[in-house]
Amino acid sequence: MAISFCRPMLVKVALGTKTDLIICSYDDYFLVMVTQIGSMGTILHAKKEEGVSIHPTFAVSVIFGKRDEPMLMACARQLIEHISNSGSSKPLVLSLGLKDHSLETLKGVASALIENRLW
Amino acid sequence: MASGELKGHFDVAVAKDLSGKESTSAVSTGDGDGIQITCFTEDLNDVTFHFQIIRLEKQIYAWIGCNSAKLGHLYAAAPTRPNNAVSVASILGGASDNTGSSIARRIVLKTGLNVILACNIPKNSPMLEADAERKLMEKLKELGYTRSRSQGSVLSNS
Repeated sequence: MAISFCRPMLVKVALGTKTDLIICSYDDYFLVMVTQIGSMGTILHAKKEEGVSIHPTFAVSVIFGKRDEPMLMACARQLIEHISNSGSSKPLVLSLGLKDHSLETLKGVASALIENRLW
Repeated sequence: MASGELKGHFDVAVAKDLSGKESTSAVSTGDGDGIQITCFTEDLNDVTFHFQIIRLEKQIYAWIGCNSAKLGHLYAAAPTRPNNAVSVASILGGASDNTGSSIARRIVLKTGLNVILACNIPKNSPMLEADAERKLMEKLKELGYTRSRSQGSVLSNS
């Protein structure tokens, strides 16, 4: 049985400070880690909700870490929408270990992840 | 059935900056900013275990896949001061099933680092859990992530 299907991909990005992206696709989840601080930081969960309307809705929540940073939730929300628009309905576990939570940083993170996506 | 082992160490896959230029550079392993990713598969008693270990500077992420590539339940475990107690929390997958929480706890005891463990071993399978844990611990020791007994309580100060 080949295990290459779930080998994590490591990408180094320069976002003002050294940033590592690790992206891995499991059968039932996408796992994305963004780290600048040597640990996973805050972990978020995002999924597309079952619904009948043409416009999908998404549920984003923090499952570990800072719960008072709206920019982190916004980043997860942007990613899950991108995943959904790319045709996958797998939920996302996103970990953001960032030195700052400014708009520019999160925008940079989101575009770096979309650029290196596995979906 | 012989066990197959595939080990991949990713020092750097690709270095990019946002303007889209690509360059590859070698980064030493095991240093402050060297992330090590190890993946391997073990076949034990007709069960196939897949393992992934991602070593960050101050944390370890591990995934144990039992016959499938599902993420499974996610647990966070960390050493807790003042004594060497370890706290474990289930952060994804519900708490009625504790499969994996004891593995997470023991990884913290062995390594002294914060641990995030994802594990999809079916519940009520203590033998599978024990087999998976044994293989994982062997690999952690082989990779040098475990601390020796003489080091005592090496708690990270962050």
